[in-house]
Amino acid sequence: MTDTFALTLAGILMAGAPLVLATLGETLTEKAGIINLSLDGSILLAAMAAFAVSVTFDSPWLGVLCGMGVGAAIAGVLGVIGIYLGQSQLAVGFILTLLARDLAYFLGHSFSRQPGPDLGLWTIPGIGTIPFIGPIFGSQSPVIHLSLAAIFLCWWWMYRTEGGMRLRAVGESPRAAFGRGIRVRLVRLYYCLAGGALVGMAGAAYSLAVKPGWGRPQGCEGAGWIVLAIVIFGGWNPVRAALGAFFFAALQVSGIYLQEVFPSIPAPVFQVAPFPIMILTLLAVNMGRVGWVQDMVRRNPVLKRLSQSWSIEAPAALGQDFDPRKGL
Amino acid sequence: MIVLQDIHKHYGRVRANDGISLTLEPGRIYALVGENGAGKSTLMRVLAGHTRPTSGSIEISGQQVAFLTPTLARAHGVGMLYQDPLDFPAMPVWENFQLGAPGRTKREVIDVIGELSFRLDACFLPDETVSSLTVGERQLLELLRLLDLGATTLILDVPTTGITPVQKRDLFDLLMKLAREEKHTIVLVTHKLTEALEMADAILVMRQGALVSTLTPPYDEARLVQLMFGDAADGEGEGVPGLSDSGPVPRLRLDDALMAGPKYSMGPMNFSARPGECIGLAGLDGSGQELFLRGLCGLDRMPRGTLSLDGKAQPGNDFTALRSAGVHFVPADRLGLALFPDLTLREHIQLTFPGHAADMDAFYRSQCVERFNLRAHPDTRASELSGGNQQRLLLSLIHDDASLLLMEHPTRGLDAGSARQVWAHLNDRCRAGATLVFFSPDLDEVLDHSHRVVVFYDRAIAAVVDRAQATTEVVGALMAGKDPRDVLGETATGNSATGGGPGGGR
Amino acid sequence: MTRAAPMTELAWLGATLLLALALTVAVTLPSGAPPFETIYVLFKGGLGSVSKFGRVLAVWVPLTLCAVGLLVPFTARLWNIGVEGQVIMGAIFCTAALRPYDAGGAAQIIIALGAGVLGGALWALLAGLLRVFGRVHEIFSGLGLNFVALGVTLWLIFGPWKRPGVASMSGTQPLDVSLWLPRLGSMTVSWVGLALALAVLALIYILLLRSEWGLKLRAVGENPKAATLFALGPRRRLLQAFMVCGGAAGLAGAIQVLGVYHRLLPAISSSYGYTALLVGMMASFRLGPVPFICLFFAVLNVGSIQLPLQLGLDSSLSGVIQGVMVLSVFIVHGLRLWLRQRKEAG
Repeated sequence: MTDTFALTLAGILMAGAPLVLATLGETLTEKAGIINLSLDGSILLAAMAAFAVSVTFDSPWLGVLCGMGVGAAIAGVLGVIGIYLGQSQLAVGFILTLLARDLAYFLGHSFSRQPGPDLGLWTIPGIGTIPFIGPIFGSQSPVIHLSLAAIFLCWWWMYRTEGGMRLRAVGESPRAAFGRGIRVRLVRLYYCLAGGALVGMAGAAYSLAVKPGWGRPQGCEGAGWIVLAIVIFGGWNPVRAALGAFFFAALQVSGIYLQEVFPSIPAPVFQVAPFPIMILTLLAVNMGRVGWVQDMVRRNPVLKRLSQSWSIEAPAALGQDFDPRKGL
Repeated sequence: MIVLQDIHKHYGRVRANDGISLTLEPGRIYALVGENGAGKSTLMRVLAGHTRPTSGSIEISGQQVAFLTPTLARAHGVGMLYQDPLDFPAMPVWENFQLGAPGRTKREVIDVIGELSFRLDACFLPDETVSSLTVGERQLLELLRLLDLGATTLILDVPTTGITPVQKRDLFDLLMKLAREEKHTIVLVTHKLTEALEMADAILVMRQGALVSTLTPPYDEARLVQLMFGDAADGEGEGVPGLSDSGPVPRLRLDDALMAGPKYSMGPMNFSARPGECIGLAGLDGSGQELFLRGLCGLDRMPRGTLSLDGKAQPGNDFTALRSAGVHFVPADRLGLALFPDLTLREHIQLTFPGHAADMDAFYRSQCVERFNLRAHPDTRASELSGGNQQRLLLSLIHDDASLLLMEHPTRGLDAGSARQVWAHLNDRCRAGATLVFFSPDLDEVLDHSHRVVVFYDRAIAAVVDRAQATTEVVGALMAGKDPRDVLGETATGNSATGGGPGGGR
Repeated sequence: MTRAAPMTELAWLGATLLLALALTVAVTLPSGAPPFETIYVLFKGGLGSVSKFGRVLAVWVPLTLCAVGLLVPFTARLWNIGVEGQVIMGAIFCTAALRPYDAGGAAQIIIALGAGVLGGALWALLAGLLRVFGRVHEIFSGLGLNFVALGVTLWLIFGPWKRPGVASMSGTQPLDVSLWLPRLGSMTVSWVGLALALAVLALIYILLLRSEWGLKLRAVGENPKAATLFALGPRRRLLQAFMVCGGAAGLAGAIQVLGVYHRLLPAISSSYGYTALLVGMMASFRLGPVPFICLFFAVLNVGSIQLPLQLGLDSSLSGVIQGVMVLSVFIVHGLRLWLRQRKEAG
């Protein structure tokens, strides 16, 4: 019994790993005030590139690096066009989503349905025998360890370092940040690249660990959009966002069980289940701003406490352009 | 010592600064005065490195440069304090203090804040978010931060809007101390002559992008006014229109009204206003006056209580119903909230007066050009209008049968001439029987144009003061939270608003 | 902003196309495909014969319907990313209206077209309600509803509407020939579809540029807060904008069912919703260029079908070229802005 539970948890960690990585990446980027809408395509192209490189050079870790490079490159295109050329981040991001997706299918054509290496399992000696912990962490895919480490690193960087303070500053008020000698556009570009690299790592995690291999469809289509919603749900806080990612991973895993319970419902229906849940989650998050809901919350002490502890404020300058030449 | 030489700054065809040369010496307080759009802020931004001049040069601590960047300006000890404090509201005090400074640990930062606060008689909690501070406190925090960075030249851009008279006194004392004892250079950008006359060792007068004169004490006030405004300065504003006895039915009546905005709620409140009355609202930012206006017009909700217009109860406070009953709201943020930046004047008129599609040009001439002196082609976009013309357009879009005008800072960003024109029009409206409820962060404007002043403090009506009693001292004390009974005597309480009173028309 | 001389505009257009070509060659280089031969195959596949051009027109009809529909919510600064789902819903409603009939005539076809419009409009209304009352950004609601619409199609095809005996991705049972839209000569495109697309084009031109409704919608998009002060009823108007767009998309879905595939299948929308968004962006959301860009994109779509057959390449190349072209438009826009600002700054 405990073992089934532990295995389910391990499954959630695995399904959640790429979601966590991509969510952290997007959180970093959005915290700096840039919306990278290209996630869905970036993940797919990075997954393809990672798999193609792994097959060609027989080195999955080189594949991971290549996936990160692809993610960063797409984010870089968005960054340069959005930050320096002053075009709409949403529009460019959306174009890049479609472009990257089609490019992935086009370039990945010859790698379709090929066998290839994956990242394998990391065995941590000594804990395999510990009950409960053992089945979860004893011998697991390295992407799980990477994703858990990334949660801590992102939190630490954002809230405990000078660099993280600057990151939040440019997303909060680029004018004020510029006034204090911070090179706003450059900082934004950096976090665009860093966030993109994490998104690319998520793509590699899909094609090299979670759903190994390449094909059309790969199986990770749509994940990018879910991630964008999780970032909002997580209130732009890396730890909360990671919890949100695991929540969605849990839904996916439970979908597999439900499929066994209701064999009459076709499998593709379960694959689209996260999307209505995404909409409902956003609805729940955003309803907190509607007047009559606020009245209710103010009157009810339990709800009031809850809403205060889960207050969700977007970075004040999210999606806003900043041009230092125009001055303050 | 800082020397500016022949500074030009052009925005397209607009010459914001047109050849300005200026020397600033240590230990002195300069006041930079001039109308809106005279180029004061631009010049100061050039000095703080926040804007690059089109041409000209700057000599600073013996070095000659073409322009400054924020980093360079800071290295030479120039610090600028903006009217809206340029800080990060969502971040805590200590991070706001540290951002832009050389690396330190949180502990060190907190120690420095404590030390400076002690020296300058301030108090800050390092982990509190800046959004919970008042504008005055945020300015003080910025000032501490600039001093910590080693600023020796402090530029203050209109620092006294939105702070109480007491806070202003403290700020001026502090500036005086910094100049006299620590030999800092202070540049005070201001619209208010009294502040310049009171504080400055030299008054720099700007007009239309040029530095027209530098005055030294003893000052000749009449000459200063003449220099600033040219001939437009003639004549005084007319104050308030007379108030006749117009029967027992109040124009506006609130009974136990509770108003709820997105951030806070306020009430229950009782209040009434008569036809033809001008009601000024005074209060620091976030004290409740914004919510009061928005609640009256139905933009923010009124969950409890009743609102009646001319004796007729308006159930709930539905915006559309109130609007057709004659309530008209004009927000301060004209382009952001009240106009469509990319639509033309013609289209604005078409949206407001749909019946005039056929005779649009004639209607435009009579409504906008002749009545309001709006001199712009009807195909001009709203975003291309000056602040004065935007306000003229907004006034021309008010239907004649509007009986309750709600205005946020009616003269924001307007020069003296336009401001007087706006007030002349509003007074005409009141004489014709409309009731005006307005708010202005400029206390003098509130006092000049109100029959009664409603003072807000801590998200509640603190007191309603008649014109006869409404002086800067009284209203200032109430705004700062002094007990109305101490300030106004035993007769006044927070609920003296109920009766409406005969007002104080002179 | 002054209008530049026509020659300068033309030069910039040329620069955009060159940039698009260069970028396309650059990003597809790793595939090892011969660039010029590929382009030749692509265009020959789209324009090589009358029957191929008929197929291009058959693509043009739904693409244009979606793209001009999109201009309506965009006038109110809304991104109706849910067009794709609205096409699918239109197709589902259309099929549902035909279900009881084995054979029928013009009346059934008209009812089915109407049902398609209704389905698309209602699906768009749902996204609109989520946006206006639930404050869910339309990008998320629209996208989520796209996937939901796809899920509904799959459920119908594999469940209640499955073909007798087998349920497969190839869709429901085909419609009776009497329910097919009449064709234009020997071409695969239906003249009814073409006529409807042109009618909708004209209707939206009038609605957006020649009516009070269009001006009010523009005002709402320009500044929703001011629209409230002007009592323009911004919420109602936003919902209307969504529904007009959804109606056009639903019509496209119905035409796909009645005129192209003659059945409901999972790929009924052929991603035209997403392609239409690209068209809209490339046209900077102006009505004028939309039909022409749609025609060009339709040629690419039809031509790309030849790629796997003749060169062993994936047909998604058309999507790559379309994406690169729109991206190039944005890059050139941005560069021009940058150059102008640099000139102004001196």
